[in-house]
Amino acid sequence: MKRKHRRLAILLACGLGLGSAAALTLFAFRDNLVFFVTPSDLASRGHAGETLRLGGLVAAGSIRHATIDGQPAVRFRVTDGRSSVNVSYIGVLPDLFREGQGVVTLGTLAPDGGFVASEVLAKHDETYMPKDVVEALKKSGRWQPDAGPPPPAATWNSLPATRNGG
Amino acid sequence: MLGAMEVVSPTAPPRGARGLHRFANPGRFLRLAGRALPWVSAIGLVLVALGLVWGLFFAPADWQQGDAVRIMYVHVPAAWLASAGYMALACASAVALVWRHPLADLAAVEIAPVGAGFTAICLVTGSLWGKPMWGAFWVWDARLTSVLVLFFLYLGHIALTRAFDSPERGYRAGAILALVGVVNLPIIKFSVDWWNTLHQPASITLTGAPTMYVGMLWPLLFTALGASFIFAALVLARLSAAVMERRIRALLAARAEGT
Amino acid sequence: MTHLAYIVPAYVSALVIPAWLAGEAWLRLRRARARLLALEGGRRR
Repeated sequence: MKRKHRRLAILLACGLGLGSAAALTLFAFRDNLVFFVTPSDLASRGHAGETLRLGGLVAAGSIRHATIDGQPAVRFRVTDGRSSVNVSYIGVLPDLFREGQGVVTLGTLAPDGGFVASEVLAKHDETYMPKDVVEALKKSGRWQPDAGPPPPAATWNSLPATRNGG
Repeated sequence: MLGAMEVVSPTAPPRGARGLHRFANPGRFLRLAGRALPWVSAIGLVLVALGLVWGLFFAPADWQQGDAVRIMYVHVPAAWLASAGYMALACASAVALVWRHPLADLAAVEIAPVGAGFTAICLVTGSLWGKPMWGAFWVWDARLTSVLVLFFLYLGHIALTRAFDSPERGYRAGAILALVGVVNLPIIKFSVDWWNTLHQPASITLTGAPTMYVGMLWPLLFTALGASFIFAALVLARLSAAVMERRIRALLAARAEGT
Repeated sequence: MTHLAYIVPAYVSALVIPAWLAGEAWLRLRRARARLLALEGGRRR
């Protein structure tokens, strides 16, 4: 019985040590563990010339499509609510790209403060809803997807919907 | 799926066995597992079949993801079980190290390949979901990377427990690796909250309403519960086989000594 | 159905891996049971 308890104590002590070591390491490297920086991070720290990932929401009404040398090109503004950055990108956009959608773009910050992206990934949020529900929310004026995140889940997650969702 | 086992050990359970050690008797474990296995397998298969048909053909499509959202019904249960399986592996390892429970070592060895399989499903289905939605099969964000680390922890456990000549030393090394790896579980869970990731945060939490339409939530709960039963059935079957294999080795050793 | 090219391989992988694990477990069980029966039956006789 005694030895059993000693083994348990050793195990718990090791766990405590390992846990705090891991927590400290993660805290020390927190800047390297993020997949992308936000427009506010860019504004406060400035990363001119570096290649980095910029993430945020595509600002409502900011998308401008064009064609450069036969390639689709797009300009849009990425915002995190406090700051925003103008992004230009030549290439094919992911299907989920739209105003109000999250995006993560890989590129460099130009001297003029614009961001030249070579890759655009869509970052969708944790809400899943059928088309019918979205239409109902739009019609009742409770949510415009272009403008930002949807209202609290409890207000819509059991509204009626059909299989195809309209 | 797997039939009942008829093997009954002639040894009686030790007198005064208490707590977890009530299940230490291999004969009793085999009897209980043999009786439970057909039921656990059947419940798992029925729930998964219902959930998958429901999810594939009756649940609504997502307004922006279209039908690709149906990958969720296999991806999310696999992801939950990848973590839950590792928790089970760590618990078995702790019981083996501290209480020297005779079944715990074998349980750890048999949980690892099943957990690795479910982690592989999680990674493959996640990749196949990420390409059409995000635009990339793989990114090195904190969630994806920590789940890949989980997969390597499982593979490392499988390799380590088989790397020693004496199984006891393999069990010991594997148990230590399993317990060290527990650090990764909160990282997986909270990676999407602590750091900016491409992967979205959890839709189903203990604290708030699920940010998922109920017509999508129900089939997900069916496949998740069913997959848990299937995970348990796979571990029960493998562990029963391992108990019998250990008995075979003991009998052969005794016979070799006797002649 | 949209995105079938991604949905089908995802579901196939989710069915094949557990099925393979189950087949492996079933074979092990059958073999172990037969060997144990042979060994213990022989000893008891």
